[in-house]
Amino acid sequence: MPPATALSKRALPSKEATLFKELLNLYETRQLKKGSKTADQILKKFPEHGETLCMKGLIQTHLGKREEGLELVKKGIRLDLTSHICWHVFGLIQKGEKNYEEALKSYTQALRFDKENLNILRDAAHLQTQLRIYDGLVETRHTLLRLRPALRQNWIGLAIAYHLNGNIAEALKVVEQYEAILKNVPDYDVEHSEVLLYHIRLLEDLGQINEALTLLDVNAKSRAILDRIAIMEFRARLMSKLHLDDAEHTWQALIEQNPDCHDYYKGFLLNRGIDLDAVTDETRSQALQCLRDFSAQMPKAGAPLRLALNIAQGEQFKELVEPYLLAGLEKGVPSLFADVKALYRDEHKRRIIEDIVESYREKCAAVTPVPADPISVDPTAYLWTLYFLAQHHSSLSRHTRSLELIDIAVTHTPTLPELYMFKGRVLKRCGDPYGAARCMDEARVLDLQDRFLNTKCAKYRLRAGYIDQAVEILGLFTKKDASSPSADLEDMQSLLYLTEDADGQLRRGNLGLALKRYTAVQKVFDELEDDQFDFHGYSLRKFTLNVYLDLITWEDQLRSHPVYIHAAISVSQIYVRLHDDPSLGTSSVTAGLTDAEKKAKKKAKKAAQKVQEDSKKGATATSANEDKGLEPGPAKDDDLDGTKLLQAQDGLEKAAKMLAPLSTLAKDNVDAWIATYDVAVRRKKYLQAVKALNSAKALSPEHPELHVRLAHFQKTMSSAPQPPPEPVGSVVSNALARLLPVELSLELFNAQYLQRHSIDAASILAAAKVSRILPVPREEIESTVFGILNPDVRPDIKTASQAVAFLQEIRSPRTDEFKVACDARFELSTIFKSPSEIAALPWKAAEVDVAADTQGKTEMLG
Amino acid sequence: MNIRPARVEDLAGMQACNLQNLPENYTMKYYMYHALTWPQLSFVAEDNKGRIVGYILAKMEEDTESEEEAHGHVTSISVLRSYRRLGLAKRLMVQSQEAMATVFRASYVSLHVRKSNRAALALYRDTLGFTVKDIEKKYYADGEDAYAMRLSLKDLAR
Repeated sequence: MPPATALSKRALPSKEATLFKELLNLYETRQLKKGSKTADQILKKFPEHGETLCMKGLIQTHLGKREEGLELVKKGIRLDLTSHICWHVFGLIQKGEKNYEEALKSYTQALRFDKENLNILRDAAHLQTQLRIYDGLVETRHTLLRLRPALRQNWIGLAIAYHLNGNIAEALKVVEQYEAILKNVPDYDVEHSEVLLYHIRLLEDLGQINEALTLLDVNAKSRAILDRIAIMEFRARLMSKLHLDDAEHTWQALIEQNPDCHDYYKGFLLNRGIDLDAVTDETRSQALQCLRDFSAQMPKAGAPLRLALNIAQGEQFKELVEPYLLAGLEKGVPSLFADVKALYRDEHKRRIIEDIVESYREKCAAVTPVPADPISVDPTAYLWTLYFLAQHHSSLSRHTRSLELIDIAVTHTPTLPELYMFKGRVLKRCGDPYGAARCMDEARVLDLQDRFLNTKCAKYRLRAGYIDQAVEILGLFTKKDASSPSADLEDMQSLLYLTEDADGQLRRGNLGLALKRYTAVQKVFDELEDDQFDFHGYSLRKFTLNVYLDLITWEDQLRSHPVYIHAAISVSQIYVRLHDDPSLGTSSVTAGLTDAEKKAKKKAKKAAQKVQEDSKKGATATSANEDKGLEPGPAKDDDLDGTKLLQAQDGLEKAAKMLAPLSTLAKDNVDAWIATYDVAVRRKKYLQAVKALNSAKALSPEHPELHVRLAHFQKTMSSAPQPPPEPVGSVVSNALARLLPVELSLELFNAQYLQRHSIDAASILAAAKVSRILPVPREEIESTVFGILNPDVRPDIKTASQAVAFLQEIRSPRTDEFKVACDARFELSTIFKSPSEIAALPWKAAEVDVAADTQGKTEMLG
Repeated sequence: MNIRPARVEDLAGMQACNLQNLPENYTMKYYMYHALTWPQLSFVAEDNKGRIVGYILAKMEEDTESEEEAHGHVTSISVLRSYRRLGLAKRLMVQSQEAMATVFRASYVSLHVRKSNRAALALYRDTLGFTVKDIEKKYYADGEDAYAMRLSLKDLAR
């Protein structure tokens, strides 16, 4: 029981009580101004009336006066701690701010004082789902069903709650009860159709395959289930599980319905005992025969032809692949190489393909100069053949040959963007990002209307460090009313742009902007997580249950996305660098910028500020009266160049937070564990550090980066003034003894590692990094790094540039010597050249080409 | 290329594909809204690494008058430039139309195309059989007009 004083304070005289009811109504119908006035009327006489204060606070928040509103609500709650209205209001505001945990606490309070309030229960259920508190969700859904058993979605809500809580059997019971009491389902009811499919899915998950099939057949026949593809997919799968003869017909029907879906062929064959992903010598010919029959029946379908190539061997492969390749070349299918490249894992197949296409090229080359020749080959087929072969040779690192072929093709047809795009790709692989960017620009100006070419070109510019110039061309396709192309791409959640820009900023040493962009990536994933909230209610109302359950699963895995992992690791690396060398935080903001760029930055900053101020002004001008909802508007960006992120005192904590999901979602990723170690050890979280090292070692015991960390950890622990307090101390020392033999000195440990991997460039670099930790004199470190240039070591460009970066980091006077050697070794590369040589390289299409196509451009913009 | 119904985990790939190809872009919530309202209508094309190289994002028109016939609408369709000439757009469209007709009894499907986008216009009209029904003035945010196009699905109704 609430204390009597609170109750007496809550009760209003009849006039004010009526006003309060009106206030609630006005809020429900969003007559905010009127509502606010009504609240004032009550408060004039009863300034301490908690519920009125809360309602007024809620209305003020809707009107955009968030701080004032929140103050009122808090005051209201203090004055009436036992009112469900006060807590509900507080919960609503917290929910609007996406502070789901606090919101649920408020809702729980509200429910203590009004156990059967349907609105509060429903909202609480959504919050529990968002927070994955499934036990609580089941309870809440039970209450809702008990209170309103006539409402269909309350039944389904309970079933889904059980399902999410892992209790499929109970979910099934609820669905069965629901169907038993259901009356008057109209014809063609999509919602009921979805429920039935859900019911069948539950039966299948519980292994009740016969029951599932019966339910499916009855309801498919009566047309209660409307989704024809779902019917066929369920039917084929269930029948296959039951080994029914008819299964084959259903798979066949699916294939006829969509002859390009690989899963259907796999299902068809699996039903005959043939696993397409693990064909044996016994099943091979049978599988090929099936696929051949399908091809004969559906000559336009690509899938059976392509799937056959995966399993065919020897002569048979040659017979199948030849017409496949020639058809693609004659038709000019740009993706032909990408399509067959997966077959290259089999060297024999690779050689067959090379022979076929090379001899076709010779044939084309021989006849092309005579256009009147009756057996002349279509000239475009020749062109696509050259394109194919260029890709083929480049994929085998024969880049010079690849470039020769592209040049022949360009001479043949100078207007095909694909040729320039691929040339750019080859140059990129050869370590020439500047030439690569130029080629992409040449491709772009050939078809200015194509955003795909535009995006590629911008990406290559970012890779070459022409960041402003990249943003400039991106702006040709972004919204004109956005404050900048970057802002539009960020709003549209372009992970590609945010990642490439961040990486570019990082390469040029602008750590602040890099942090800002990586943080923007993180924000996109936060948004994606928030986005599901509305669907907790929506999907129940729409009865789209199957896809909703998939949504929940997907959301739980969201941060396993490679872009998130990359951003989390990069942010950690930056904060680790800042932790180790705080001076970077003050020096790097304008690092790598020329004076002109600095000026441009300043100008852009001013412009962006102006846009923000304008939009703010605009917002206040339109509406003292307008409902702005409970979600706060977009926060003002007060950190345009990322300086605040750069100078954040809690950088390592931010990094740890971003990395946290990776321990479950990217547990097979060594780099993630290395980053986790780097952050944990600096935060003195030694158990976490040990776990990270153990996990990395289990995945890849000889990984170069792990080698560096093992030495680092040993060095850190042995040079600490005192061991970590017990019980952590002994856990750590035991773990360390297992990770790294105690009897071995670090010097010897490193020497042995180097010996084991004496011709692997990345391992040599790792050994050099460890010798820096020991430490040894710089000359010795340098000479280890120079081991990378030994003739029997074959470094790739990435490792070579990492070695350059390391030499720069230790301020080695031999850096240039190393770069010159790399420049000679990587013949086509430009990244090892001096800054002045690089500055002289052309990186965009010649002006003439641009002028030639201005017509297309005007058309696009007009 | 593998063509199949779109799943929730494809939405990010569809969004990336759209951003790379087209000037009309949407935040993820709009893709979710499609998938969670009409899970049957969207399809993807994927390469053998599982990368989304083409998609159709489709819905049923919601603001129809009571007498008006139910009809589908293509919100967005595109195929990466490097995967053209395989007929993917057509295959995606056919799958979606079939689902519109059978699940929702749509009598026709509509879409909008920029007046200046001749390549897309040719695809819809010549390859897919759409006809121009109307011109919507200033349909796009930048002020460009749109052709409103339609294709009857009467033959597909069962």
